[in-house]
Amino acid sequence: MPSLRELQSAFAATLFAGGDAVPSFATVPADRAAVRMAVYRRAVFANYRNALAATYPVVKRLTGAPFFNAAVDAFVAEHPSTSGDLNIYGDAFGAFLASHPPPAELPYLADLAALEWAQDEASRAADGESSPRDVLAELTIMATDELPAALLTLAPSCRLVESRYPILRIWQANQADNTASERVSLDAGSDRLLIRREPGGVTIERVGAGEYAWLAALSAGLSLGEAIEAAQDADASFDLGTALRARIEDGAIAGVRAT
Amino acid sequence: MKSSPLPLGAGIGLRTPHVRQVLDEHPAVPWLEVHSENYYVDGGPALANLDRIRADYPLSLHGVGMSLGSTDPLDRVHLAKLARLIERTDPVFVSEHLCWSGVGGRVLNDLLPLPYTEESLAHVCARVSAVQDALRRTIAVENVSTYLAFADATIPEWEFVAALARRTGCKLLCDINNIYVNAVNHGFDASTYLAAMPREAIAEIHLAGFEATETCLIDTHGAPVAPSVWALYRRAVALFGRVPTLIEWDTDIPPLATLLAEAATAQAIMDTPDAVAA
Repeated sequence: MPSLRELQSAFAATLFAGGDAVPSFATVPADRAAVRMAVYRRAVFANYRNALAATYPVVKRLTGAPFFNAAVDAFVAEHPSTSGDLNIYGDAFGAFLASHPPPAELPYLADLAALEWAQDEASRAADGESSPRDVLAELTIMATDELPAALLTLAPSCRLVESRYPILRIWQANQADNTASERVSLDAGSDRLLIRREPGGVTIERVGAGEYAWLAALSAGLSLGEAIEAAQDADASFDLGTALRARIEDGAIAGVRAT
Repeated sequence: MKSSPLPLGAGIGLRTPHVRQVLDEHPAVPWLEVHSENYYVDGGPALANLDRIRADYPLSLHGVGMSLGSTDPLDRVHLAKLARLIERTDPVFVSEHLCWSGVGGRVLNDLLPLPYTEESLAHVCARVSAVQDALRRTIAVENVSTYLAFADATIPEWEFVAALARRTGCKLLCDINNIYVNAVNHGFDASTYLAAMPREAIAEIHLAGFEATETCLIDTHGAPVAPSVWALYRRAVALFGRVPTLIEWDTDIPPLATLLAEAATAQAIMDTPDAVAA
């Protein structure tokens, strides 16, 4: 008699074989067994499709259900789910779309997927626990010569996404409640976006090249000094004082520690 | 181990589209159940809303992804997320499904059927005990709908379920719709199944709607409870007495009032089983 593991392996193999694959282990005749296996196959793929549609609604809206569903099915084959928590599935979908050429008129699709994943992550990130006053107080007691080596941490929900395409306008134009028809020129400029959760919900904000480089460096764990250097490389006019004050006040920078 | 009873009334499965309305209108329903996985997040409004709901209602956590029957190692990360949610919400009750959801590191995220054999029984018992030990509480395990049965099975499903409760001390979440669906799909008598259930282990009952197709009944949770399932529920109440009962609806989710009306029907049967008998 086959072992439990052998039976589970055979079940999964038959399910992913697709088409009319007949399970060899069933009690009912082959034709009925194939049809009933298809019930499981449909349910499993519907679960994946629904999960990714919830995370990537604009990608689905732009590509249409047939393309989107086929893309999800192909994605599942290359990047199987590895958790019983389906809400965290699909982080690699943007990269997958980039490597599997989307329709020629949607060159920005992978970047748009990155924006939607960032929103999804922001929506379920930990609640920040520090207040701007705490952060300012920590910064104030720090000696001036300690500042370049200090580590500034971003709030848990902060995510950064950049694109050579105007993905924020494309995203806004494709919201389900937006009925106005708008043409977004792909030459309308690049986007550097800060995505995070605020008390009212997830927000998306455009930031300048210097500030983006600064936040990205801080997010990567670089010191304040290194982050300032990165910011000035991107934009010589980057004003640290203004950026630091604004980001502490609005909660994007949530912690400071000396090293 | 910790296990407190749910209120002896008919509750509903609370799904995302109804959370706002429940918070605003505070409907009279004795208890609520949510899918644990929907709250395996680090923070955000969904968890904050669950805290508020928990303050107003007895809460049951119903997991869909523990994969109790899988031969892959128990997912300790998943288990830790459940433990963290239990810590945060102090639920009245915690349940999982009698099924498997993945093999060879690949998760299928569905409730897949087990071959009912001695090997499976020993395996599931060990896994249920491991989960109960890790959580330091008794959980309930729910029988699932199945569309395929295994030629190598040696134990009737009802004996398998009863043995699981006897060997591990776990409670049973008896899904009446799933018993009916399986009775039709695999050709057994649902009354035999009910009669084999150990009364003292039954801690909760689920009711939901199925979809009838040409080949089998499918447990869609997308329709009202069928008349034949209400009839089986009356029989269950006659056998078991009052058991906390839940209405589940997961696809084509109707207005909250529809779920509350279904729960009221279950409550009426529970309160006066003979008067409502068909």
